[in-house]
Amino acid sequence: MKNKKKRGIIAIKEQRAAYLFLIPAFLGLSLITYLPLLAVFGISLTDLNVGHFIVGGTLPPVNFVGFDNFVEIFKSPSIDFLNSIKVTVVFALIAVAGSIVYSMFIAMLLNRKMPARGFFRAVFYIPYILPATAVMISWWFLLKYDGGLINYILVNLGFDKSYFLSSADTAIPSLALIAVWTSGNLIVIFLAGLQNVPRVYHEAAEIDGANAWQRFWHVTIPCMTPIIFYNLLMSLVINLQIVVPALAVTKGGPGKSTMFMTYLMYQIGFRGRELGKAGAIAFVFFIVAAILAFILFSTSKSWIYNEGGDDK
Amino acid sequence: MNEIVNQKKTKGVLIKNSIKSKKRNQQIADIVSLILVIILAALVMLPLWWMVRSSLMKSLEIFKWPPQFLPSEWLFSNYNIKPTTFDFWRYLGNTLTIVVPCVVFGTITAIFCGYAFARLRFKGKTFLFSLCVGSMLLPTMVTLIPLYISWSSLGLTDTYWPLILPFLCGGGAFNIFLVRQFIRTLPKELDESAAIDGAGYMRTLTSIIVPSIRPAIIVVALLIFITTWNDLLQQTIYITSREKYTMAVGLTTFMGSFKNDYSGMFAATCLSFLPGVIVYLIGQRYFVEGIVMTGMKN
Repeated sequence: MKNKKKRGIIAIKEQRAAYLFLIPAFLGLSLITYLPLLAVFGISLTDLNVGHFIVGGTLPPVNFVGFDNFVEIFKSPSIDFLNSIKVTVVFALIAVAGSIVYSMFIAMLLNRKMPARGFFRAVFYIPYILPATAVMISWWFLLKYDGGLINYILVNLGFDKSYFLSSADTAIPSLALIAVWTSGNLIVIFLAGLQNVPRVYHEAAEIDGANAWQRFWHVTIPCMTPIIFYNLLMSLVINLQIVVPALAVTKGGPGKSTMFMTYLMYQIGFRGRELGKAGAIAFVFFIVAAILAFILFSTSKSWIYNEGGDDK
Repeated sequence: MNEIVNQKKTKGVLIKNSIKSKKRNQQIADIVSLILVIILAALVMLPLWWMVRSSLMKSLEIFKWPPQFLPSEWLFSNYNIKPTTFDFWRYLGNTLTIVVPCVVFGTITAIFCGYAFARLRFKGKTFLFSLCVGSMLLPTMVTLIPLYISWSSLGLTDTYWPLILPFLCGGGAFNIFLVRQFIRTLPKELDESAAIDGAGYMRTLTSIIVPSIRPAIIVVALLIFITTWNDLLQQTIYITSREKYTMAVGLTTFMGSFKNDYSGMFAATCLSFLPGVIVYLIGQRYFVEGIVMTGMKN
């Protein structure tokens, strides 16, 4: 009886400590993430302008405009929102697929015994930690039509020169290539996953006479599916938000081939000062991202291999 | 009789041979994969080398055809960029003013939150945890406009606060998740024995847990460093006056305004690579270990 009471006191103390520990992070989560998410929909229904924040400005007060912003971003040929959705999604899909295959392959290689493993890990990881702006500038020069190194290599291998970032047809694949180059973070997570694949499975498969390819396909891949799923999801969320190449180098061009949704939002909201319309773009972006994530989640049950008795 | 012995012998030899050939196959596979790694590593590093070599050349030499892999003359003087065009030290100082508090406080809040989720029992834990993990899926760009509106009504545009304050509370969901996973791999007896010795939750955390999760802490700090260092979009939106420019904004402006000073451009870019690489090399030893130990199973 007494014991029970004492335990109750400890539980209350424990609970209080837990909430105290959570306060800073959840203050951030609610104010920086969840509240703004609700607010963005409200903003998209108004004609809010950057000018409203200039002291002594002469703009009329903020009006509620219903769904006008949504209608306009989809209808206006100068905004060409459908093109933005298309280039963003196409870029994200190519970049995600490329990054996953590349980083899985590199992780498999780096998981073998070899000299100077730490050095090689650093080599493949470093592109990820470089400032994204500097990376874009570097690749811009590497991919130049005249005097760019990549074109020099192509010509020497007997291929034709390519315009890469300066042609509307090749800009998106070129940016996807750069995204793949910078996907070192995925390699680390894959490596971590590979080191958690139980050795006994491999040994058992080997005793049963499975060759390396069969072991990869029937042991490694199934064990890795939860991590592949995680990487797919994270890589999707990050690549959908692509903006640095447009901000730093391409400015949405050539034509509108790299007018990504985030860059369009920046243009309309901060260059054009129309925050209401930019809010509408952000909200549609959220819907697009949610649909893609939902598709990924709903297919995941059929291909993620779950070990019995997982701890979560 | 003799035959049987012979058979046994040949069987033995066969097994021996198969082990030998397996070992041999293994060796060949090791060599092939090493060669592959070397080639790929060279390819991955090529763009970086290209920047470095261009930064040491005369502007005219950079785009010569066929390209040269080494500069004919190593012009380290290219790194003497005029502060009026690219003010490296100022930009570095400005960027660090943002990055350092973000890293310090972001890491601390991530540790607090991760500890609570890993060890303490409280009401609403599952719900709060899914709120936290769910935010990983929320693209930050969606919240940009409301946040801009809030910061500018507080009069905080063209200051560093909008870039720092979000990190003072909340180190990001992935980091919290990482810390939680790592703490869960520690034996529970560790903190129970501390509790018996009369240590409170805070004492247990600082004296027992924190020293044992050093790799995870370093990973979290490094990840926050990279996120804040690279956040060109928000830096562009909030920082407008030239003397407050960060490295990323400064580089972009330089790129947009330089007058054929290519070698200066490349030198500036190479300089901006340095801080990140240095930070990574310091923390590298812990890096993969930090993520491996957490047993990234979701």
